[in-house]
Amino acid sequence: MLTLQDLTKTYRTRVGQVKALEGVNLEIDKGEFVVACGPSGSGKTTLLMMVAAMLRPSAGVVRFDGRDVYEMAVPDRARFRADNIGFVFQMFHLVPYLNVRENILVAGGAVGRIDKGRAEELIQQLGLQHRASHRPAELSAGEKQRTAIARALLNRPKLILADEPTGNLDPENARSVLRYLHDFQRAGGTVIVATHGPAARQFATRTIYLRDGMVKA
Amino acid sequence: MTFTGTNGMSILTMIFKEIRHRKINFLLAVLAVMTAVAFLVAFYTARKASARETARLMLSMGYNLHIIARDADVGAFLITGIPDKTMPEAYLEKLASQKNISYNHLLATLEGKIEWRGKEIILTGLAPEVCPPGQKKPPMTFRVETGTAYVGHRIAETLQVRKDDAITLSGKTLRVERCLGESGGTDDMRIQCSLTDAQAILDLPGQITAIKAVDCLCFAKGDPVAILRKEIASILPEAQVLQVKSLANARAKQRQMVHKIFAVMLPFVIAACGVWIGVLAVMNVRDRQQEIGLLRALGYHTANVLLLFLGRAVLVGVFGAIAGFLLGTGLGLRFGPGIFEITARTMVRPEFSLFVLSCLLAPLFAVVASFVSTMIAVTYDPAATLREE
Repeated sequence: MLTLQDLTKTYRTRVGQVKALEGVNLEIDKGEFVVACGPSGSGKTTLLMMVAAMLRPSAGVVRFDGRDVYEMAVPDRARFRADNIGFVFQMFHLVPYLNVRENILVAGGAVGRIDKGRAEELIQQLGLQHRASHRPAELSAGEKQRTAIARALLNRPKLILADEPTGNLDPENARSVLRYLHDFQRAGGTVIVATHGPAARQFATRTIYLRDGMVKA
Repeated sequence: MTFTGTNGMSILTMIFKEIRHRKINFLLAVLAVMTAVAFLVAFYTARKASARETARLMLSMGYNLHIIARDADVGAFLITGIPDKTMPEAYLEKLASQKNISYNHLLATLEGKIEWRGKEIILTGLAPEVCPPGQKKPPMTFRVETGTAYVGHRIAETLQVRKDDAITLSGKTLRVERCLGESGGTDDMRIQCSLTDAQAILDLPGQITAIKAVDCLCFAKGDPVAILRKEIASILPEAQVLQVKSLANARAKQRQMVHKIFAVMLPFVIAACGVWIGVLAVMNVRDRQQEIGLLRALGYHTANVLLLFLGRAVLVGVFGAIAGFLLGTGLGLRFGPGIFEITARTMVRPEFSLFVLSCLLAPLFAVVASFVSTMIAVTYDPAATLREE
């Protein structure tokens, strides 16, 4: 489903060039739960952004279902993301002026597919029914992350990319969030979690280690 | 993604919700547009009133240009106020048919002193006032119908002339249409009749002594008299031009004052409000950096992000225009007469055409002022933004 070939990313900084990723090769099949581990600055987030068709690699190819995502025009890449990928971030990235229900529906706006029934279903599944009309500022960290997961699931994506999804959560909420991601994987979805903590590994079908931008065995 | 969709999260819904969330920023931006619009509306309202006031004053002050025959004795004209030579009435038509000229309100007159009932009086024949093509304005003086006369105050009082009396001048009988109020000037010793009647009375058929006019050179560079003389000399080489400086200057001063205030303050206010909106828009974009990154990550196109910010700017403009029009009209009505020295307050009235103009231009102004910040928003690298955890 997902093929990364010789993926390299170099950032230009004031002090010179920094290699965030170097020669990464990966094959990820449908239904996998991949955990990318590594210390801060090891290139985990860069890897996710490149898989998400949001960060063009300096070299190498990202193929999704056989298509080179960076061969697509910018609007097509945006549509590809909306149709195929769900995001979960450490900082949740909820829109502050929208309530929980609206924050979930906002993902449908990009594809012009506003599925209110699906949003309600997710609100129930993730135990957010009592918070559906609340804004992010009125939610706990766990509720915020569950809202973000619901938003990621709204368009029935093939792949969920989660960047440190438990980084701001207590252990109980962290387990709960990972279980939702695991449920998605068991239902046929593919998950890539970037984390430097060990909690996600228990759900992983595969764990990769990143250090200095390279995948270590 | 639709701008006005009803089923779910449309861009318009997001704009309204964001405005509710960041009320202060929105209100400050509306305040900026309101200030600019209010300034424009207030000054324009007062300026229009001033123009009406100027016209009214000029009406009472009279014509400031005298075009007389080239061979007329200017010295005698300045002493008596009556040219000693005549010129053909056709000159009026010649002047009035010109386009793009610097004078208006052309009034052909034939004047002469005559003896009537043992008194020396001034007889003035007036042709209907004409305007050159494209400069149609309401006449500055009344029209005297053939067979009627307007009698000066002193004549009427001393010779016992009353309205509707029949008076005979050199064998021509006229009905007194009106006895004029006291002017304290030569008008009190004047009988005014139609040009054709005056030509018959003075036995000068087809002749006039002067063409009176008003110049339109308040904003001209250089000496207005020289400009007018050159212009009229090319049309009527057989005539000479005299300008009543005091009247011309008063008129020019009144118009220039309004023009100067407007010209100096307008760019300043517009620029200040534009910068104000721009700064607020940049602050708004900075506040929403993560949101923009998220929307781009979710697959929103550049056009959606543009709509999100420009739509907000349009609303800032519309609300600012409405509030600004109301405030500006209020200020114009209240303070306009003082600033522009408009003595007749009835001359100041709301200019409703400005409301439509404000509602069209203020959103455009807000959009232009927000343009830089909007471009910043659409060029944000979502990956860079979302990496900044």
